[in-house]
Amino acid sequence: LLFLQRVLLLVASDVDALCACKILQALFQCDHVQYTLVPVSGWQELETAFLEHKDQFKYFVLINCGANVDLLEILQPEEDTFFFVCDSHRPINVVNVYNDTQIKLLVKQDDDLNVPAYDDIFKDEEDEEEDSESESDGSEPSEKRRRFEEDVIERTMKRRQRREWEARRREILFDYEQYEYHGTSSAMMMFDLAWIMSKDLNDMLWWAIVGLTDQWVQDKITQMKYVTDIGILQRHVSRHNHRNEDEENSLSIDCMRIAFEYDLRLALYQHWSLYESLCNTSYTSASLKLWSVQGQKRLQEFLADMGLPLKQVKQKFNSMDMSLKENLREMIEESANKFGMKDLRVQTFSIHFGFKNKFSASDIVYATVSLMENIEKEGPETTNFIKALDSLSRGNLDKLHQGLDLAKKQLRAIQQTVASCICTNLVISQGPFLYCSLMEGTPDVKLFSKPVSLCLLSKYLLKSFVCSTKNKRCKLLPLIMAAPMDVEQGTVIMVGIPPETETSDKKNFFGRAFEKAADSTNSRTLHNHFDMSIIELKTEDRSKFLDALISLLS
Amino acid sequence: MPVVNEHSERMRKFKNKGKDAAALRRQRVEVNIELRKAKKDEQILKRRSISFSLIEESLSPAEDKRNEQGVIQLSLEEIVEAVNGSNTELQLQATQATRKMLSRQKDPPINQIIELGIIPRLVEFLTYADNAPLQFEAAWALTNIASGTSEHTKVVVEAGAIPAFISLLASPHMHISEQSVWALGNIAGDGPLYRDAIINCDVIPSLLALVSPVTPVGFLRNITWTLSNLCRNKNPYPPLDAVKKVLPVLICLMQHEDKDIISDSCWAISYLTDGSNDRIQIVVDTGILPRLVELMARPELIIMTPALRAIGNVVTGTDEQTQAAIDAGVLAVLPRLLRHTKPAIQKEAAWTLSNIAAGPCRQIQQLITCGLLPPLVELLDKGDFKAQKEAVWAVANFTTGGTVEQVVELIQSGVLKPLLNLLLAKDSKTILVILDTISNLFLAAERLGEIEKLCLLVEELDGLEKIEALQTHDNNMVYRAALNIIEKYFSGEENPDLQPGTGQDGLYHFSVEKQDFNF
Repeated sequence: LLFLQRVLLLVASDVDALCACKILQALFQCDHVQYTLVPVSGWQELETAFLEHKDQFKYFVLINCGANVDLLEILQPEEDTFFFVCDSHRPINVVNVYNDTQIKLLVKQDDDLNVPAYDDIFKDEEDEEEDSESESDGSEPSEKRRRFEEDVIERTMKRRQRREWEARRREILFDYEQYEYHGTSSAMMMFDLAWIMSKDLNDMLWWAIVGLTDQWVQDKITQMKYVTDIGILQRHVSRHNHRNEDEENSLSIDCMRIAFEYDLRLALYQHWSLYESLCNTSYTSASLKLWSVQGQKRLQEFLADMGLPLKQVKQKFNSMDMSLKENLREMIEESANKFGMKDLRVQTFSIHFGFKNKFSASDIVYATVSLMENIEKEGPETTNFIKALDSLSRGNLDKLHQGLDLAKKQLRAIQQTVASCICTNLVISQGPFLYCSLMEGTPDVKLFSKPVSLCLLSKYLLKSFVCSTKNKRCKLLPLIMAAPMDVEQGTVIMVGIPPETETSDKKNFFGRAFEKAADSTNSRTLHNHFDMSIIELKTEDRSKFLDALISLLS
Repeated sequence: MPVVNEHSERMRKFKNKGKDAAALRRQRVEVNIELRKAKKDEQILKRRSISFSLIEESLSPAEDKRNEQGVIQLSLEEIVEAVNGSNTELQLQATQATRKMLSRQKDPPINQIIELGIIPRLVEFLTYADNAPLQFEAAWALTNIASGTSEHTKVVVEAGAIPAFISLLASPHMHISEQSVWALGNIAGDGPLYRDAIINCDVIPSLLALVSPVTPVGFLRNITWTLSNLCRNKNPYPPLDAVKKVLPVLICLMQHEDKDIISDSCWAISYLTDGSNDRIQIVVDTGILPRLVELMARPELIIMTPALRAIGNVVTGTDEQTQAAIDAGVLAVLPRLLRHTKPAIQKEAAWTLSNIAAGPCRQIQQLITCGLLPPLVELLDKGDFKAQKEAVWAVANFTTGGTVEQVVELIQSGVLKPLLNLLLAKDSKTILVILDTISNLFLAAERLGEIEKLCLLVEELDGLEKIEALQTHDNNMVYRAALNIIEKYFSGEENPDLQPGTGQDGLYHFSVEKQDFNF
């Protein structure tokens, strides 16, 4: 990966992409590679950015975008343009996979990609010419021609075989492209690259951890995949951080240390009060059903069971009595078990800067998301992106703290919206899926016009709904959520998420379904997001679109 | 007056610029064609390497024993032995077995056969005039080997196949003669080197002798294709005297009723016109242009495409050559092609038009008279983007070479709106051409003293804001061109006389509705 020319870096707007970007930037700095960074939030921006820069650049690096469409088809690049794609979106478009000149994919060999075999999906020109002789398209005659056996029977056989082959090809591609899911985190891929080049630093390792944690927070990967990848990173963590353990006392202020931990699955609790965190964490709030009066009562019982005074619980975690904090994790876990919350403990990592600052990986994810999707306008669109990117650097504690504050606001907003949706029965079963639509005028509705926030809301809502409903069938349904996007243009943003079950493979079929429903109804939709399961839609077209979706999925 | 002189001097410069641009674009098309070729070669290579394991498999002895059509199946060792042996019966069997392997649909084992070292022997078989079946099988096998990569073709040529095939053209057996035509076509198709090697062995007279009113259509198709390969490729071009010998026969073949024959002979003409002006002249002199234009109007893509390509090449030539194409009626056919559903045809037609528009103003006048402006404007508005780019060039060339009256007519046909819309394109080159065109329009307006009206029209069509936006464009040249227009024509404080509502008379002289513009 050694460039002599300037490189254009196109980075999607998600935390994993930001982390991968940080690692790559550090590597570029090592090798004195010049680059230009352009944030892209969707296909349109990607295309625009490419067209604007294609004259000046030959090398394009795409992070968390580009793998799942035919890039050459969309961008129509010159022959001497090269794309390096590091993207966790799956399935990877087959043309990208089999193009070995212009498109280089950064993927793990052992990620199960299940890409169809080349011969099953591509046939070469020669064969095609043979069969389509009658419907020539006016292309130049071939320079050389081979003479085949002229046997009429053989030819008709060939035609039949070809039809069968085509039917099989459609089937294979349908199976392959049906579900959207995510592969290994891009930040982890970049870290691997740095490691192979022996240029991995502890900072890069931390970004890899945050990237993976983002996938977990966003529910993009299975529990299994998360635990496996945590294991991989843990080995790197002990390799990079063992020296410090020996000389704990000599730890200097500006030194950073990463540690593996079994931590509580409570959002931001070390920077909040325990009480707030319990109320605004999806897992606890859903399990205790905090939106109801009984739920609130259960929370009180839970706290009483732990023997924690309400006063202590409600004050800042940092200021809690040291004596209480000592065995806090064990105490909470024990009581949580009694209240049916068996998975409150998670494997994760934390980072220490000097003595004072400690953050868990998920803290960073929440903070970065909030900075990235901050709805308070401060200058052009890219400001948020740059701010979020900066907050990942060690030296920018103030930005990080600002992010944490925003994240608390965001989590509260999500929790309140979930509570009101459930209390007012806004989640309705449409048959093959659940549907919930936020009205214009709902508090915080503007926040949910942003894709990551809306996805988080949807996941939290579905978790809570599954806990609240007694309808067994409904528990197994996926959810479609819609929120106003642009009132002036009359558009909504719509996202579909897979069912919330314990064994969920996190595979999402809404991407294809949305495409088909839009086609069959001529709905004015915009498939602009790198996740195909997020679309924009004209408000007037919503009902016919949903009708089509229902009949499609029934 | 010095001012006028300076002005016309400028116009002249612009005009030259237009010509350069046309030349540039011609080159671009050439590059495209070459890329297409490269791609195809690459694909073939790819296919071979991917299927390598399959070849091994199907060559295994177990497979060989399977006998489908009563042909005796032989192992590779047996083939080598039989081919090198003296038993004529076994020679024929082995050669036929080889030919069968090479002509199966999937994965012909070209490399393996070459590695057996039997190619020189197969070439020798071509000379066995008393054993026609053996000659035929060897010719077919060698044809298929020559159909592979350049390396494969080289093996055949270096075994001395060219003279052997050329003498076989005169074989009393038509199927052997036809197979030899095919083999020579493959060798010529490899590139200019072997093409000229064949031509230097005096292939053309024997090849042309095969064309007669009684030649079967299938045979004639093969001959036409081989002739087209003899005209194909540049660096260098085929020798002039060879071209002059082939041309009359090609002209004849273009009158045939078979579509494939017409198509391949049109392609041959398109290769011959894809060159310097003296090469174009040779084709123009045959008087074939009217037929080409007629074929350009045919609905079949395989005929329309090469005919259009050939005519497109001709109008890259001199004004006289372009005039010959106009006289042949090209302007009457182009509107239909500009509106064709296939983007590739739209693009090629627009490219052709752009080169005609680069001509002197009398040719531009013919273009107007023949009604080319409406389809041009439509294409600019709604065409495929690549075709739009060519259409932009057509307009640019038009404004460079056209008279003031002609430019006014262009504006009246509604060109401004789609042209200004294309300023939103992402392609800086296209934007630059449009900005140049706009400058040209203002120059024309200046001569009429109608700058204010043009300013207003541009503003009404939201053009001003688009040009203003381009001042922040990343491309420095775009930025400067946009700035230049703004500074020159839009920077003065608003003249109250120019506000809408005053001076209404003639305010819309440039607009589409009003046709009675007087000078």
